[in-house]
Amino acid sequence: MKMHTINFTINGRKESLKVSSNLTLLHMIRENLALTGTKNGCEAGECGACTVLLNGEPVNSCMVLAVECDRAEIMTVEGLTENGELARLQESFKNLNAVQCGFCTPGMLITAYELLQRNPHPTPSEIKEALVGNLCRCTGYERIIQAVEQASGE
Amino acid sequence: MKKSQKILALIGTNIPRVDIQEKMTGEALFTDDIQFGVKLLYARIKRSPHAHALIKSIDTSRAEKLPGVRAVVTGADFSGRIGLYLKDRHIIARNRVRYIGEPVAGVAAVSEAVAEKALDLIQVEYEPLPALFLPQDAIKPDAPLIHPDLGEYEVVNFIFPKPGTNISNHFKIRKGDMKNAWKNCAAIVENEYYIPHIQHVPLETHVAVAKVDLSGKITLWTSSQSPFAQRDLIAKTWGMSPADIKVISPYVGGGFGCKAGVTMEALPVLLAMKVKGCPVKLRLTREEEFYTNFVRQALLIRLKMGCDAEGNILAMENTMYWDGGASTEYGVNITRAGGYSSTGPYDIPNVKTDSYCVYTNNTIGGPYRGFGMSELHTGIEQCVDELANKIKMDKVAFRMRNVVESGDILATGMVMHPTGIKACIEKVAEAIEWGKPSEPSAPHKKRGKGIALMWKAPAMPPNPGSSATLKFNSDGTVFLSIGGQEIGQGAFTVAAQIAAAGLGVPMDWIRISKPLDTDYSSYEWQTVASRITWTMGNAILDAAKDARKQIFKIVAKAWKENKKDLEIKDGIVYSTNTDKKISLKDFVITGIPKKKDQGWIGGPIIGRGKFMPTYVTGLDKDTGQGKRAVVHYTTGAQGFIVEVDTLTGKLEIIKAVSAFDVGKAINPDLVKAQIEGGMVQGISSALFEQLVFKEGVLQNPNFVDYRIATTMDLPDKMESYYIEVPQDDGPFGARGIGEHPMVPTIAAIANAINDAVGIRLEGPPFTAEKLFMAIKAQNKSVD
Amino acid sequence: MNNPLPRLPEFEYIRLETIEKAAQFLKDHPGEAAPYLGGTDLFVGLRDRRKQPKYLVDLKHLEGLNSLTFDPAKGLTIGARVTLNQLIDHRDVQKNYPILCQAAKQVGGYQLRNRATLCGNICNASPCGDTIGPSMVYQGSVNIFGPDGTRSLPLEDFFLGPGKVALVDGEIVHSITLPLPPEGSQGMYLCHGRNKLSDLAIAAVSVLAYPDLTSASGFRFRIALSAVAPTVVIVEEAQVLLSENPIEPSHFEKAAHIARQSCKPIDDIRSSAEYRRELVYTLTSRALNQVWDSLQSV
Repeated sequence: MKMHTINFTINGRKESLKVSSNLTLLHMIRENLALTGTKNGCEAGECGACTVLLNGEPVNSCMVLAVECDRAEIMTVEGLTENGELARLQESFKNLNAVQCGFCTPGMLITAYELLQRNPHPTPSEIKEALVGNLCRCTGYERIIQAVEQASGE
Repeated sequence: MKKSQKILALIGTNIPRVDIQEKMTGEALFTDDIQFGVKLLYARIKRSPHAHALIKSIDTSRAEKLPGVRAVVTGADFSGRIGLYLKDRHIIARNRVRYIGEPVAGVAAVSEAVAEKALDLIQVEYEPLPALFLPQDAIKPDAPLIHPDLGEYEVVNFIFPKPGTNISNHFKIRKGDMKNAWKNCAAIVENEYYIPHIQHVPLETHVAVAKVDLSGKITLWTSSQSPFAQRDLIAKTWGMSPADIKVISPYVGGGFGCKAGVTMEALPVLLAMKVKGCPVKLRLTREEEFYTNFVRQALLIRLKMGCDAEGNILAMENTMYWDGGASTEYGVNITRAGGYSSTGPYDIPNVKTDSYCVYTNNTIGGPYRGFGMSELHTGIEQCVDELANKIKMDKVAFRMRNVVESGDILATGMVMHPTGIKACIEKVAEAIEWGKPSEPSAPHKKRGKGIALMWKAPAMPPNPGSSATLKFNSDGTVFLSIGGQEIGQGAFTVAAQIAAAGLGVPMDWIRISKPLDTDYSSYEWQTVASRITWTMGNAILDAAKDARKQIFKIVAKAWKENKKDLEIKDGIVYSTNTDKKISLKDFVITGIPKKKDQGWIGGPIIGRGKFMPTYVTGLDKDTGQGKRAVVHYTTGAQGFIVEVDTLTGKLEIIKAVSAFDVGKAINPDLVKAQIEGGMVQGISSALFEQLVFKEGVLQNPNFVDYRIATTMDLPDKMESYYIEVPQDDGPFGARGIGEHPMVPTIAAIANAINDAVGIRLEGPPFTAEKLFMAIKAQNKSVD
Repeated sequence: MNNPLPRLPEFEYIRLETIEKAAQFLKDHPGEAAPYLGGTDLFVGLRDRRKQPKYLVDLKHLEGLNSLTFDPAKGLTIGARVTLNQLIDHRDVQKNYPILCQAAKQVGGYQLRNRATLCGNICNASPCGDTIGPSMVYQGSVNIFGPDGTRSLPLEDFFLGPGKVALVDGEIVHSITLPLPPEGSQGMYLCHGRNKLSDLAIAAVSVLAYPDLTSASGFRFRIALSAVAPTVVIVEEAQVLLSENPIEPSHFEKAAHIARQSCKPIDDIRSSAEYRRELVYTLTSRALNQVWDSLQSV
């Protein structure tokens, strides 16, 4: 298989990698860059655990080829924290115990983070709709929805 | 300050989760996140396409020659059997396959892609055998035997297989006088329910990495609820010392029972033995997770219940056929639990129970949040509703009349301890405004209310142990070494809370020693059965007591005071007698100098603690009678208001309410989080979930067609309550709450549906289609 | 039991500068090259080996395929790589093609819709594709680029069967055009899945209606059914009933009944055929009544 060289920015850092055609963005992030906060839950675009921002938009990274990310800007859960400081959204997840096993959390945070960028004051039903592609088996979602709402408040 | 007041500062307080920071940042380490470097090999498994067949031959020669392949294993490589309660399972099939997806060969290679290619090169020749997919077929006398060697399998002394049949356990209760009991009944209800297979669906699929060093010692990194049980099971299977196996288990991305015991973890071990020095990783794809891993057993339950004219339940006959699947190594104990709890939380004088664990050629059944109780209560609680209906008694009043109370003699002969179930019922009934009709939102919609109760005891061997170690550091901080796993439920937080309260130190002085590592962590049987807060909590308190004893001994000697006058608060030892004070950090490692430089008193403090229930007795094989069947029962109730669209069958949950007696809520917000999460998992199982098998072939091994609840499927309103009737053998009176919130859910929703549209379905999931079709049939029969 | 691969199989990623070259490449590698847009369905097919292309020909960067243009005269042209979220967020689409927005919102989760495209949804030709029915009641057509030039094909001629469309090797759907809906039109997409949102449709109905003085009723209706036959069903008989006779409330029930008769559903893991038929009846009746109410209230 041919290798392709790609240059991109991830969490504000410039990177250059040689990748094969069939490497997904998910595996590139987890394996080539060892940014293991992004989780592999189904590799079918169904669970949202692998959600990252690609040029500012949330995508299932299992559904994107690495080779397409030349000149892209990528943000993973690791990019939410600046200098060890939790972002407001993370703080509200923390306050409300909106986390149990933590496996869906990175994807959930990324999806919610982008929602708040696009819609700073979403209604609960807008939050639910935005997070419908992020499955969680532990929390029953209620606290997650509340946490996003709390983070959106003044 | 009184001792009890001091404890209250930490116990019963919403301490933030100790794992939250890591889980917010992506730093929290899960098994698949561990970096193993270039020596890592990847395993893939060749699986049986047949539900039941003899393996005539396996040719792996072409696979072995493929560049990049480092090891190939088949059943010929290992003859041992593995199993928690009944050793009936080969790690890789030998001679015979018993379900679709059963491992028949494994490959370790430099990449998953090469391993996959190698699998295609392995030729397996099968001779198909007749297969059994329903327990009711498998128990027929002429049914082909799935385990002809059942009589030779090693089994624990409380499980009773019937060699020569497909029954791997038969649990019986014979209590009272059934014949006369029925005669005295004013009303009798007989019903049959079927609860299908479902899956745990942790967001993290199973993953295990094994490495065997040149001396044969094994290291296993797993996503596990049971690192110690895994170590011990693997040791036993290979005839090794547990000391030569090290299981390391970081955070678990969801367990719900499926990561208890050993399921797929022995496969990479077998491969790693052939490539010593190289770690071998096996990670299940989501699809494999669905069709090869342990599932919740299906249950066919036949119930007969009768009561007198005043509404006293007089008799129950409960026959359960559990679809154990191709192996019942763990599942047999679910059928035992279903047996000894078979009355549900009711005081019934005459009971006949037969709980059968039946082999079929379906996927292997195993522990699932609730351990049989969701399935059992789905039957009982609908039957109770029907019985109340039949004598025209209010369903809440009927339950209040019959529910278990302190001092009742249970069906096994055990005496019931104090329980708050009546308070739970009252709470739930009040919250859903029981007895008051709820107006539907449109003329073609109908609303109904339903309630269901539950009880559940930790289901385990009689004597599972827990231990804990508290090791001080020079600044007073403490490493708490435990074997209970953090699977999302908050175990680490509650453990730290109990340790801090038990020692008398600030919460942030306690650090959990992690990841769990069987070489360093203190022994714990398994993180299952909602037992960790209770049993590990007891062990931690015992360790704290031990540490305090050592501390007081040192200080008393240094101060020449009576140990009884010493106390610890906020990490400072003080005397109630003389007002003297010393911080723990000043002496827990170095000790206290004697006066005038004449030597030292003390040394590093290590608190050791343990807990093991010693009071659970055996039950008679033929009657199920014994002094104490279980340690205790957590009880509770749920109520639902539902609305059914009669034109589409679509169901909306208007309100869902839970109340459980947790004994003592050590961290109330985490208790509520368990209740909410469990209830939504229960709702998901009630409305959407079923593994659909066609001749043993799973039709929906993916999220496209195995639907689980999403953010959009929540009830409009959810409320969670807890009651606190203290448990005498629990830390601060606490009982478990992990599994219970999904136990009554299916039944409560079924009862609400019945109240709304007068329909009872054979079993869940209560899909819009099934509801619509039933409503249609009902309309037809009315016409 | 199909055991999907743990990751994507080997293939060569092909990115060519022009649509001409892409089309030529596809033509030169029949059966070996697959066009690649959002990949949301393709990747699943690759992992479970239903699809085994040697080459994935990326179309996403090609000029013109990213355009989403609205012209009151010509209508809406949706480039092949326009994602469903871009479509949903577009004001002119929301205003003039609300049914399409309603349907697009049903597809997967938000992050999936940042990759999934209308073109992909249409070219997959899945019987349960949410956006196909609405595109058909809007009387859309696909604009095809091929080695031998371009052509347009009405959607009703495009679908040959489940997963089968009227494309020959080397042809690429580069955009979809939806003409401007008739003045005063009202519409609705109603679907029924197992979950409330994000599930595949078990049955769905798209209804578009608009005033038309040339018809006996003064209105014309377009009704399309999804997930209940190998391809989308246009319920002509019901459309005629509602156009050629003065509207009576009972006609909506009649039309719904005709819809039920017109579909040819199958039993599958998601639903029985019988239930699908019943849903067609209820959803059609509901959609017609609601659309009628909207027409009246304008």
